Amino acid sequence: MKDTYILGIESSCDETSVSIVKNGCEEVATVILSQMDIHSCYGGVVPEIASRMHVENITIVIEECLNKAKMSMEDIDAIAVTYGPGLIGCLLIGVGAATTLSYIYNKPLVPVHHIAGHIYANNLVSKMEFPLIALVVSGGHTDLIYMEDDYKFKKIGGTLDDAVGECYDKVARVINVPYPGGPLVDKLSYDGSDTYPLPLPLDDDSFNFSFSGIKSAVINLVHNETQRGNKIRKEDIACSFQNRVVEILSKKTMKALKEYNVKNLIIAGGVSANSGIRNKFTELCQKNGINLTIPNIKYCTDNAAMIAAAGYFAYKKGIRADIDLKATATTSLF
Amino acid sequence: MINLLIDTSTSNLTVSIIEEQNILYKYQQTILSDMASKLLPIIDNGLKQLNLTLKDIDKIFVVNGPGSFTGIRVGVTVAKTIAWTLKKDIIPLSSLELMATTHTNKKYLVPMIDARRGNVFTGIYDKNLNCIKEDKLVNLEKSIKNLNDDYEFISYDNINLDNLIKPNIDILKIINKHTNDKGINPHNLNPNYLKLTEAEENKLKND
Repeated sequence: MKDTYILGIESSCDETSVSIVKNGCEEVATVILSQMDIHSCYGGVVPEIASRMHVENITIVIEECLNKAKMSMEDIDAIAVTYGPGLIGCLLIGVGAATTLSYIYNKPLVPVHHIAGHIYANNLVSKMEFPLIALVVSGGHTDLIYMEDDYKFKKIGGTLDDAVGECYDKVARVINVPYPGGPLVDKLSYDGSDTYPLPLPLDDDSFNFSFSGIKSAVINLVHNETQRGNKIRKEDIACSFQNRVVEILSKKTMKALKEYNVKNLIIAGGVSANSGIRNKFTELCQKNGINLTIPNIKYCTDNAAMIAAAGYFAYKKGIRADIDLKATATTSLF
Repeated sequence: MINLLIDTSTSNLTVSIIEEQNILYKYQQTILSDMASKLLPIIDNGLKQLNLTLKDIDKIFVVNGPGSFTGIRVGVTVAKTIAWTLKKDIIPLSSLELMATTHTNKKYLVPMIDARRGNVFTGIYDKNLNCIKEDKLVNLEKSIKNLNDDYEFISYDNINLDNLIKPNIDILKIINKHTNDKGINPHNLNPNYLKLTEAEENKLKND
């Protein structure tokens, strides 16, 4: 069978990335231009600055990727692009470049949902086996998804308020940990002990999550301790908080695997780089005979390889967009 | 020599295909939303009418600012992608200079784009498109209102000035003026915002 090469473009937040992936599983070349250093001096991603950087870099990154792959646009079978969700000004740059290339070279244009991309980052590690449960954890999402087959997404649960990554960032701010807060809280937790009595959030029978309660609990805790003149032990807060988050994520995910009688679990999204999550799930899956896949750290954060990988399966399914493809800031995968 | 002109910097979306002294195709409409998804279909429509493809275009003129930040990026992204991948010459144009092609009997033209909070992006041009005062962001009250009758005020926006006229752009005039401009490397063709982002401004204030 002839090989299929997908060119993926991702620009939904602060990474300009382009990748070429073969048959949805084999990375040929990826270029990621991260703006993290620039946004870090503002304490978070500034959408207008991010958009400005994308437009400056987009053609450079595409060219670099093609050069790295030693390929030309003629060798590409289809162009996959993140059309949402994300920062609208940023998405427009990737979509603008992708539609233009698709138009010029008369290549199929495949719109990819950012979360489908995160899920398919796992296909670059090992071939995804179905049925599976996907736990998507990022700055904007916390979802439990059941997949019966390729590119079939069924939501079985999700956060009712904050996303887990968002909660990490807020906790980081409360305990004075600089941007990017999430990874630093994770690191800090190893120097602390689980001494603070934080609640286990939304510990019920559903597959839903809620992180606003534990966020408020951390805020109140810090406030009360400060009022009493007690010193806050950042490391201990980080450790207590992380333990609770990891516990509820793993508890509900394991329950979903059991209830749906599924033996395959994948974890996806930026927060899947969290070492607490990686360690806990590795341990639990080993114990319960679950086949676990987590992307390599470099594929956990935003990148175009995952968009090209997901794009391959969307392409095979016949999902297409025209040159009037609209970028959308909020769009559901389900 | 076939030229493509793209202007997405204001609500007046303009796409034109020009050969020598002939305008082969001209699209000019007020577009208030979704300019991004409309631009390529408009270019495609023009090319199809003329039985051309983008490969037949020799030079791309793209308005890279000032104006709507998102709008500028939409035009620049499409234009630089075409120019880079098809190795075409690309030349940036000022949105204000394009407005200054409007016919007038007055000595000078003052094209303006509303930049909110009492500010406008503006420059001063003479009738031959010579730039008398370069494009920048100024306060309307301080810099514009005291100009005398020699100056024609032009804008698509509803700017608070008595004798404001709407632009009636002359595409050939601006192409002729810039036809010998040297094309620049498409990777380096970027928006000319004339304004820092708010985050950068605040940071400068606090540093």
